[in-house]
This record gives sequence, structure tokens and C-alpha cells, in this order.
Amino acid sequence: MAVALLIDAVTVEFGSFRAIDGLSLAIDFGEVRAVIGPNGAGKTTMLDVASGITRAKQGRVIFDDAIDITRSSESDIARAGVRRKFQKPSIFEGLDVRQHIAIGAQGGLRRTLSSYALAQRVDDVLAEVGLADLALRPASELAHGQKQWLEIGMVLASQPKVLMLDEPVAGLTDEETERTVALVRKLRRPDRAIVVVEHDMDFVEQIADRVTALHEGRTLFEGSMQDARADARVVEVYLGR
Amino acid sequence: MRRLFLILLFLSAAVGSSTAAELDRAELIDRLCGDAAALGEAGRSLMGVAAEGSTADRAWAAPIARAMMDRKLTCDGAGAVAITADGSRDALSGAPRTAAESGRSPLLSLKNRSVFEMADAALALRSSSDLGRRAAALRTLERQAVTLPELLFESAAAEESDPVLRAQISAVAEAAALNSVDPAKRIAALQRIAATPDRRALAKVGPLTKDPAYAADPAFKGAVDATVRKIERGIKIGDVLATLYNGLSFASILFMAAIGLAVIFGLMGVINLAQGELIMIGAYATWLVQEALQRFAPALTEYYLIIAAPVAFLVTATIGIALEAVLLRHLYRRPLMSLLATWAVSLFLINIVRVTFGTQNLNLVTPFYVTGGVPVIGDFIFTWNRMFAIAFAAVTLGLTWSLIRLTPLGLNIRAVTQNRTMAGCIGIPVRRVDMLAFGLGSGLAGLAGLALAPIYSVNPQMGQNFIIDSFMVVVLGGVGTIVGTVVAALGIGQVNVLIEPLWGAVAAKVIVLLMIIAFLQWRPEGLFAIKGRRK
Amino acid sequence: MKPLASDHPFQILLAVVLAVAALLAVSMVTPLGISAYLANAIGQLAAFAVLALALDLIWGYLGILSLGHGLFFGIGGYVVAMHLLRHSSEVTGRVPDFMQFMGWSSYPFYWAGLDFFPYALLVAAVVTVLISGVFGYVSFRSRVDGVYFAIITQALVYVAMLLMFRNDTGFGGNNGMTGFLVLFGWPIGGSGVVIAMAVVSVLLLAAVLLGCRLLLGSNFGVLMIATRDDEVRLRTLGYETLRLKLAVWCLSALIAALAGMLYVPQVGIINPRLLSPELSLEIAVWVAIGGRGHLIGAVIGAMSVNALKFWLSAAAPELWPFILSGLIVLVVLVFPNGLVDLAKLKLTRPMGIKRLASEPELR
Ligand SMILES: Nc1ncnc2c1ncn2[C@@H]1O[C@H](COP(=O)(O)OP(=O)(O)OP(=O)(O)O)[C@@H](O)[C@H]1O
Ligand SMILES: [Mg+2]
Repeated sequence: MAVALLIDAVTVEFGSFRAIDGLSLAIDFGEVRAVIGPNGAGKTTMLDVASGITRAKQGRVIFDDAIDITRSSESDIARAGVRRKFQKPSIFEGLDVRQHIAIGAQGGLRRTLSSYALAQRVDDVLAEVGLADLALRPASELAHGQKQWLEIGMVLASQPKVLMLDEPVAGLTDEETERTVALVRKLRRPDRAIVVVEHDMDFVEQIADRVTALHEGRTLFEGSMQDARADARVVEVYLGR
Repeated sequence: MRRLFLILLFLSAAVGSSTAAELDRAELIDRLCGDAAALGEAGRSLMGVAAEGSTADRAWAAPIARAMMDRKLTCDGAGAVAITADGSRDALSGAPRTAAESGRSPLLSLKNRSVFEMADAALALRSSSDLGRRAAALRTLERQAVTLPELLFESAAAEESDPVLRAQISAVAEAAALNSVDPAKRIAALQRIAATPDRRALAKVGPLTKDPAYAADPAFKGAVDATVRKIERGIKIGDVLATLYNGLSFASILFMAAIGLAVIFGLMGVINLAQGELIMIGAYATWLVQEALQRFAPALTEYYLIIAAPVAFLVTATIGIALEAVLLRHLYRRPLMSLLATWAVSLFLINIVRVTFGTQNLNLVTPFYVTGGVPVIGDFIFTWNRMFAIAFAAVTLGLTWSLIRLTPLGLNIRAVTQNRTMAGCIGIPVRRVDMLAFGLGSGLAGLAGLALAPIYSVNPQMGQNFIIDSFMVVVLGGVGTIVGTVVAALGIGQVNVLIEPLWGAVAAKVIVLLMIIAFLQWRPEGLFAIKGRRK
Repeated sequence: MKPLASDHPFQILLAVVLAVAALLAVSMVTPLGISAYLANAIGQLAAFAVLALALDLIWGYLGILSLGHGLFFGIGGYVVAMHLLRHSSEVTGRVPDFMQFMGWSSYPFYWAGLDFFPYALLVAAVVTVLISGVFGYVSFRSRVDGVYFAIITQALVYVAMLLMFRNDTGFGGNNGMTGFLVLFGWPIGGSGVVIAMAVVSVLLLAAVLLGCRLLLGSNFGVLMIATRDDEVRLRTLGYETLRLKLAVWCLSALIAALAGMLYVPQVGIINPRLLSPELSLEIAVWVAIGGRGHLIGAVIGAMSVNALKFWLSAAAPELWPFILSGLIVLVVLVFPNGLVDLAKLKLTRPMGIKRLASEPELR
């Protein structure tokens, strides 16, 4: 199976502080990968590198086995098909829900979709994330959970090959979490890789094929969720008990 | 061996001739009463006395030379009688007596007259107690300086009490030596000139390359060339030092203007457009202190720059604190609006000062410790007013640094600068820190105003002149770092001073701006940015 | 943004502007009691409103505050002044005074061809796009924004002012350019020409207003607002925000230059004080007072502040700075959306004042 996203010996430094230290990670197409780890482990920073926001000091990031995106711009990476949702919901205060999804679907200053196809796509995505009723609401008026879904919807709308979700269920109710589980499950496809960063272990257990645990910018563990729960180091630095 | 001996012999002769030989006064009187040739001899002896005679001899000879010029010396059988300011006296002994009926007054030929004129002036220069007379004498001597003994000027300069006249004497002596007929003298003079290598010296030596001797005498040519080289090197060194020094003092002013801005910007992300006006208020506070001192403690007026420091600081710090409490506190999440708000404050301050004090420049006395300077090398003068700005900036830097690094308030300021939310979470009174830091930043502007007061013109508009430069310092230095501010101020100050003489002040500003924009391509956060999270 | 068809406030404003233009036009043939003086004032206000629209476009809708828009205003103004002077010297047969003062008997090369109006327009546009483009490109590329961008643009206009103060640049030095005699062959002082200039200004204001509104209502406008609200987010959705910002920035500069071209013939003089940082700051103040992020706000802000200024600088010139600074503080503290807030009467809420003031800035 082809590797969708390869993070190869990446190091990131902020001043003298190493947020990521020679981290390597390979995510296959068709897989849902959870990345867990204590606060400050470097999970978000890893996604920042993959999406071009933060530059790696060393190492490479390869998309789809061949495309080196280590030095590409954020927009190039996004257009190549690697997209992410941010940890802190990032929505556009001045726009309504539909406009958000349309922006996500169009993906670039140049038009890629006809207006008809665009409207079609937006409707589909709105239905998928359950915001169809709120399509004309200003996004700033949405509840927290709805903002999380709106963000996922924006990312989805371009049908990305690699989908990175940073804490999609943080701050959601149990019921909302359940809906998100269903959503993520629906999103998984053989030609798509999904990376989920989460602290909610039950959520992770329900969606993830494999789990990578990070600690202080390095991989601590990689395997199934059951094994992770059993792993002494993961328990010590993160899961507790 | 033989040569050594000869040199020794020559040296001893030279030494012998330069020691003051005892003057044979009677013989001089004889010559004065002799024929034209003897008179000439006498004139030259008088000149010799002026140059190297003892104090007593000079005091004796001066009235005689004067009397000869005025034709008030009469020769008779018993010698000669001179009518001086003290009346009629025997020329030799100085005892009061009148000349015999048969006496005659020697008449000076045109040639001898000039000899005596010089001797008279030389004696006056050396022994007159009247500054005006000495200065007049120097003007007379200057006309024939080349023919006069060097020792005359040297001794006169050494004894002269008035600094201006002393400098003039040296200048005349130098010019005389340079144009002397004796090549050795000229070379010696060249070496003396080379000791103070400045543009004036070059102007004196430069024309000598067109002197006939330059082509004819290789030794002279060598000496001239060496001197020119030495002077040019001195000038170059002096110019470099002067540029550095001017740059440093400009940088000090930039630093003073920018440091408060940088502290505030780092802390709250607010650029205080009223910073220039706080500088202006600091200068006005300084002026008020000076006025108050003049009225109530005139003896201390000269020290107003020092006494005003706490006043300027406190006045502007208070304004700053009020500004923060009333206005900016409500705007800290809207940096662009606070930009406009501070501009409103700046507009208000300029106009309130204009209405209260008027638009004219204020008069500030220049205290003795910021006047004058010490010439160092070339045309570089270590001036005290610039030094004052530099020292003041250094002290401010030291105090600010200690405050930020060593005190609890400084610790809080650093914490809030780095992470406002987190600092609030661990119980730092963020709002109070903001207020105090704003007060600090404003107070520093007040001190800048004080430092500028004796150097620049103080008027309601003065703040506008520095503000954009100091913004550039903050942009270049990076948010909220003292080191960044220092380095950026030094950089911008030096670059400005370097470019100004080449292409002018406006070009300097243009180039500095372009350089900053180019620099931001490479480091958008400035030189020493505190890294923060983007998202 | 509401569709244009249901955006009633905007339609009303546009109608009013057009009505004023019509009124002025009619008064050229039948006297309606509109004096040339009043028409001239209206024309100048229209030029300022265009300038405010230029700034609102980038500040209100893109989140980029420029404190240097006076530079582009000045470029337009200088070019049109050069055009007018070329024609004036055809009348007088001499080069302008400031050139005689420099001892020049003919125009420097860069004045060539400016007597041909389309060429002058082209020069103004090219110079504006060149300067704004290069500056915008280097700034946006290195992601200079917010307060940094604001003060660098301020330095830019300041430096431009210093340059123009020099007498040897061939642009009139500190006295600037004045003594315009003819506009397209008509004597510039005649009341007909004065009113015609006002009509053109008001019509162009309407055109710019409509153009901006159409732009903002389009997809591109949606992307502008997205850039303002969260630029990084938009980039990670595949958009080159650099190009978008650059395009809007240059457009805004062009509109400012247009405002300058309208303004200078109507006041009859241009000098480097037009490039002073204060004027550029004032533009931002008009927009803030009117309501940033609202086209209507920019127009009303520019018009009302300047009308007040016209009136006060005759009635009580000493008072004007105090009133202006008071207005700014009021707007900044109490009505963060300017007069638009006032219109919505948000003040009726008892806690309204506090809440409004602490709202985060649209960014
Ligand atoms: N721009 C930045 N500048 C300085 N330090 C940073 C920056 N971004 C991240 N860090 C630091 O790098 C470390 C890793 O941060 P990161 O956000 O990747 O952690 P995380 O694993 O996502 O944590 P969490 O679970 O809390 O989201 C942290 O210590 C953080 O403070
Ligand atoms: Mg994280």
C-alpha cells in the first residue's frame, strides 16, 4: 500500500527549544491514524510542518510517495491534497456557513469547479457535516461543536487525499462526539489517509486503525490502541494509572 | 669616530649659542650712538635680547628700542639719555638725568628703521603687560616673521597668558618657519605641523609642493611628502572617529527615543504614536525646571539638566499611566485602533502645549559641562554635548536593563511580554503591569526629551522629528527587546551618519528605509524577536 | 454581505450621491442657488470620500491598515498638476515659476508628454502600481502586517514627503505646484468649470462606490473578508493570499491616486504637505469615524469630518485639533464601528458601551 504522508526524520526548533526531534512517521492511504501524547508533545507542531506553516530545520515531508512538500507553501500543499483542521477553531467571522464550505471546495484563486458543480458539492458537504439547516447563518453565531464541524466541512469540501484533524472533539458533548465518530468513519476511503490528533481516548479507540504516541517531539509508541493502553511508557507519560 | 666628534662639537656650539649670553649694555649704547652700520648691529642685538636675553635685559632694552623709534634717545659725552614713559633717564644706568646740550639724536636709515621696528615689536611682545600692545606687536612682527629668530616666538608663546594670542603666536611662528630660507628649519617646521594633522595643517603644507625648493631639494621634497601623508592619514583617522562618534551620539538619541516605544510595543503590541509628544513634554518639563531654578536657586541653574531628570521622568510617566488607564486599557485587543487613539493623544498634546506655551523655540542655557570639547586627531573634536547624550543614553540603558532584569516588576513585564494569557493565569496582575510598563515607557520618553533639550530646538513640533526614526528602530530591533533596540539604534544611527555626507540627509532616510524593508525580507520579526506562537 | 438588491442603505447612499451630481449638473445651466464655492467644497469632499473608500477597501475588508495612502493620493495629484502646468505654460509661454527659480528654461525629460491627458493618466497609474506593487510585494511576501505594516507605510510617505521637499527634483520643492490656468482648454477659475469638476468628482465617487460594492459582493470579496478574518486558515485551504492582497492593495492605491487627480485641480495647488504622515493618518480617522468595514461609513466619515473641518478652520481654527482628537477618542472607546454604531443605536443597551469597546478588532 502506498504511503500517503511520510514524515522523515523531521526536527523543528523554536529558538533553542526542540519541539520535534528527529520524528519519523508513515501514514498509509486508507488508514485512520491517531496521534496522541501529552500537552506540548509536538503533535500540533507536526501538523504545522506537514501543512507548511512551520518550517522543519531538518528532515523531509513526502506526500504520496513522490511529492516533496517540505519547502512548499501552505497553499501549494493544500492544493496538492493535504489539508487540516486547526486545534483552535479557525473560522471567518464575517462569512456565513455556506461561504465557508464554498471557499473550501474551490481551493485556489482560479476556479476549478463550475458554479453548478460547486453548489452541488457545497450542498453535499453541508449535509455530510449536518449543517444544511444553518447554511446562511453567519459562522460567528455557531455553537462550538458546530464550528468544529464547519471546520471539518471546509477541509472536506476539496476532497483531500490527506486529512489532518487537530483535536476534532475537544470541547464537544458526548452526543456531538458520537456524531463526529460517525462522520470520521464515513470519511475513510481507500484513497485517503486521515490523521487525527486527540486527547479523548474513547474517541480514538472508536476511529483509529493505529495509534502513534508522541513524547517530547519523539515517537514513543506505534501500534494498536489496545497495545498502547498496555504499553508501560505510554501509560507513564500520558495515559496515567 | 671622527664624525661623532664633529657632531658633538657642533652640538656643543649650538647649545652654547642658544644660552642667553650676558648682554654688554655699554657696548650696545656705544653702537646706538655710532654710525649707520653700528646702528644696524645695535638693532640686531636688541632683537637678540628680545629673543634670548634675560628678563632683566629685556626690561632694560624695551624702553630704549621704543625711544629709538620715537627718536627720543640722545647721545652725549656721558653716554645716552632716553626719554621714556618714566621721564628722562640715563640709557645705561636708568638714573634720572637730562641730556647735555650738545647731544644728538641718532637718525635711523630706512633699512635700520625696519630693524628697530622689529626689535621694538619683539621686545614689546615679550615684555609688555598690555595685551593690546602685545597683539599689535605680533601683527607688526608677522610681516617679517621669516627673518626673525624662531626662539623669539617660541619663548613668547611659552610665556603668553592669553590663549588666543598664544595660538596666534604659534601660527605666525609656524608660517615663518615653513617659509624660512633655511631648509633645515623648514623641515623641522613641517614635522611640528604634522603633530596636529588636520585640514588647516594640510592647507598650510599643501602649497609647498609648488615651492621651488620642492623641485630642487630632494630632502625637502621628502619631508613635504611625508608630512602630507601623515596629515592625510591623521585626517582620515579623525574623520572615521568623528563619524563613529556622531553616529554613536545620533544612535544614543534614537535609542532614547525608541526604548520606551519598544517596551510598550513588546508588552501590549501598541505603537504609541504619542511617544514623540512625550519626548516634547519631557523637554518642556526640563525647561520649566530651569526656569524655576533661575528664579528660586540661581546658583543651581547650571545643573538643571541633572535636577530635571526625575521631574521629566515623573511628569511623562504620569501622563503615560493616565493614558493607559483611560484609553489604551480598553483597546488592547485592537492594536490598529490604539494606533489611532494614541495619534489623537499626540494631536491633543501638541496643541495644548502650543496654546499654553506658544510655538516659538524655548531658550535653554547650555551648561558648562555640555559646551566645548577636546580636539583629538584630525578634525575630530570630542564634544561634550554629544558626550552628554551618549552618557545619558548609557545610563538610561543601564537603569532600564536592571529594572527589566533584576526587579520583580521587570520579571512581570517580561512574563506578560512573552505570554499574556499565561501570565494572567499564574496570578500576575496583568493590568497593573501594563499600566506600570506604560508609565515606564513614557517616562523613558521624558528622559529622551531631557537629553535632547540642550541639543535640539524645543518647540511643540519637536516630537515629530524623531518619531518615525524611532519606529524604524523598533521595527528593525524586534518586538520588545532591549538588545534589539540598542543594536538597531546603533545600526540606523551609523548608517545615517555615514550616508549623510555623501548624498544628504534625505537620501540617508530613503536608504535607511529601503534597507529596513530589505532586511525584513530576511527576518520579518526583526533582529531579536521573541518567538511567539502564530496560532 | 447582503445581495446588492436588498442592501437598502447602500442603495440610498448611491441615490443621494447621484442626486447631488444631478443637482450640480443642473445648476450649471439654471441657477439653483448653488454657488461655485459650495460646488467646489462638495467636489473636494467627494475626492476625500473616494480616498476614504480606497483605505476602507484594504483596512475594512482586508485588515491591512495603511498609514501611507497619502503617497498614492499625492502621486495622482502631482501627475495631474504637471499636466495642468504644461497647459498653463502654453498660455503664458514660460515654464512655471519654480523652474525659473531653479534656472531651468525647459522642462526636464520626465515632464515630456504629460500635456496629453491619456498619457498623464497612464503615467499616474503606472507609477502608482509600480510603487504600490513593489512595496506590497516585499511586505506581504515577508508577511509584514498589522502595526508593523502601518508604521512602515507611514515611514514610506514620510520619506516621500522629504524627497518632494527638495527643490532639485523638478516637482516644485517645498512650494509645490500652483498657478493652474486651464483645464482642457477652459479657464480653470470659471464657475462653470468649477461646478463641472465637482460633478465629475461626485460621479466618479458614485462609480467607485458601486465598483467597490460589486467587488465585495463577488467571490473575490468573500475571499477578501476571509483573508481579513484568518489569513493562515485561508492559505491552508489552498489560496495564495499574497496575490489576493497584492491585487487589492494595488487597486486601493489606484483609487487613492484617482482621488488625488480629482482633488488637486479643485484646490488649485499641490505641495509636499499633502504627503505628510498626518494627512495619511487622518484618512484612517475618517474611515474609523464613519465606520470601518462599511463602504457607507467611509463615505459619510470622510464627508462629515471634512465638512466639519472646512467649517471650523474658518470659524475656530484653534479648536479643530482638539475636536478631532476628541472625536477619535470617542469613536475608539465608545463606537468601535463609528457612525454605523450610532445608526444602529446600539447605545440603547445599558451595557452597550462597555461591550462594544472590548470587542476584538476585525482582523
Ligand atoms: N511558534 C512557537 N514558538 C515557540 N514555541 C512553540 C511554538 N509552537 C509550539 N511551541 C512549543 O512547542 C511545543 C510543542 O507544541 P505543540 O503545540 O506541538 O504541542 P501539542 O502536542 O499539540 O500539545 P497540545 O496537546 O497541548 O495541543 C510546546 O512546548 C509549545 O510551547
Ligand atoms: Mg496541539
